[in-house]
Amino acid sequence: MTTTTPMTSSQLTGTDQLSGAARTPSATTGQTSRRRIRKDVLRSRIAAWTAVVVIGCFGLLPVYWLLATALSTPESTFQFPPKLIPTDLTLSNFTALAENDQLIKYLVNSMIVATITAVLSVVVATYMGYSFSKFRYRGRRSLMHMVLASQMFPQALLLVTLYAVFSSFGLLNTYTALVLSFTTFTMPLCVWMLKGIFDTIPDALLEAASIDGASRWRTLHSIVAPLAAPGMIAAGLFAFVRGWNDFIFAVTLADKEKQTLPPGLVSTYIGEFQTAWPELMAASLVVSVPVVVAFMFLQRYLVGGMTAGSVK
Amino acid sequence: MSTAAPPRKVAPPRERTGGRLSNGAFALLLTAPGLALFAAIIIYPLISALFTGFFKQDLRLPGREFVGLENFTYWLDGDFLTILKQTLIFTVGATIVPFVIGFALALALNTGLKGSGFMRGLFLFPWVIPGVVVSFLWMWIFNANYGVLNGVLMKAGLIEDSVSWLGQPGTAMLAVIITKTWASFPWMMVMLLAGLQTVPKELHEAASMDGAGSIRRFFNVTWPQVRGVASIVLLLEFIWNFQHFDTIYVLTGGGPAGSTETFATAVYQTAFKGFDIGRATALGGLWMLLLLVLVVVYLRITERKGDAR
Repeated sequence: MTTTTPMTSSQLTGTDQLSGAARTPSATTGQTSRRRIRKDVLRSRIAAWTAVVVIGCFGLLPVYWLLATALSTPESTFQFPPKLIPTDLTLSNFTALAENDQLIKYLVNSMIVATITAVLSVVVATYMGYSFSKFRYRGRRSLMHMVLASQMFPQALLLVTLYAVFSSFGLLNTYTALVLSFTTFTMPLCVWMLKGIFDTIPDALLEAASIDGASRWRTLHSIVAPLAAPGMIAAGLFAFVRGWNDFIFAVTLADKEKQTLPPGLVSTYIGEFQTAWPELMAASLVVSVPVVVAFMFLQRYLVGGMTAGSVK
Repeated sequence: MSTAAPPRKVAPPRERTGGRLSNGAFALLLTAPGLALFAAIIIYPLISALFTGFFKQDLRLPGREFVGLENFTYWLDGDFLTILKQTLIFTVGATIVPFVIGFALALALNTGLKGSGFMRGLFLFPWVIPGVVVSFLWMWIFNANYGVLNGVLMKAGLIEDSVSWLGQPGTAMLAVIITKTWASFPWMMVMLLAGLQTVPKELHEAASMDGAGSIRRFFNVTWPQVRGVASIVLLLEFIWNFQHFDTIYVLTGGGPAGSTETFATAVYQTAFKGFDIGRATALGGLWMLLLLVLVVVYLRITERKGDAR
């Protein structure tokens, strides 16, 4: 960053002076301003590429290092200074993962918990989002604000009391505790996403259905839901990813039996004295795969989903 | 994975009864399952947290004893200001730095470089991968003995001895901010790029024809158009960072010597390492008051934008 900013600004000032010259009456012919624009374009291209390259180094070199370490042998990892281009490539870190039963268990737990979280969040949020989108009633605004605000309350604090609540109901170390705690942040997200999707379905369609004699339940289940299905799947994928990625709730509310992959990786690899970095990096890649795949499907909803409940 | 199937298309026999409810009652009925869940897992725990702050209570044991404001004064007379200061340093740093980087990248990609769509996707990677993975990766990069950062800096002759980035108070906060920056600048970039793309190209061309230089075009054409998105993005990121937990917890756990202790790690450690749930929720209550101010500001802004029709 530090290298781009001064460069760009000096270029910008240069352009500014030039435009000052261009503003003198004799120079404002079409030709000069066209040439000036071409120069402008060239300058902004250079500035743009500089920014992309510098930020690219910051953004992507760590990713390269993640890959390189995952493919290295343990011996070469504990060399200093590190080899920037690994020569002894190996897949053994990945095969070691497949043979680790405890990790497979974490993986299965993650799958189960994230899937149930997604389904529960979407079902509940569909009704709520539909209500917010298509009906006008007293208290609606306050409810919507409550849902929105709930996303912003401190999770660490919520966790402390959730722990006490789950403990008194004997729910610690269960899938239920994980699903419910994940729902605290996936449900608001889904409500806002789905409200946005229902907003795009024209009211006229609902009126037509009502004139044709369909009840309100039937309208929702047989007419609106199929139309909103792609959006519901997207919301479900977002919820799945958020549940899959969670660390703080999973590490606290579940033990080794029911824990999900993110905290599972910590307990498996982060040793007090020595960490198995190549295996940890390989495992990290494996955890990231479902998320990356989900986001490839979600490209279209990306901005909408990321801003769900914030801006449209 | 597409388990999020739409609700079954059942047409139960009692379908007709739906027609007897007024529209308002029907709408409220739709929100009922959600509200029940909300009440059980968010509202009740948060309210009970506010009360617990006035009690002396061990997380592992039943029973508690009313102690009035003792838990609050414990913090206010003690570490509160230090924790607030460190939380603010983290929050401001981890909001401003990714904003600047994300904005620069958005501006660059918006000039229509070849392959900017592809690059946008590529740059999203740090944001998409799980937060724990981000923490592991940077923990490895910052590693004092074998880390690549030390290796590169030494090769470049910038440092002579290995630096223990996460292990000393002077650099730990910086390292944590860099890590969080890496994970969140792509989100800033996507949001700002979406904002920038609403600026009509013709406006730029017209301004350019009229002799406006790049700086002037930025402040007179671009900025007014993205100001709305920029303020929302900054505020949201600020709110999120103010309660961020994962990165700090995995990288430093609040240490070394408390130098990266924020509200989130302090509340967590007090409750789950010290088992003192009264003190933890007291600090949490103070923290929530501060957050509440931010959330109200945020709701006001979205309200004004007419989003919550």
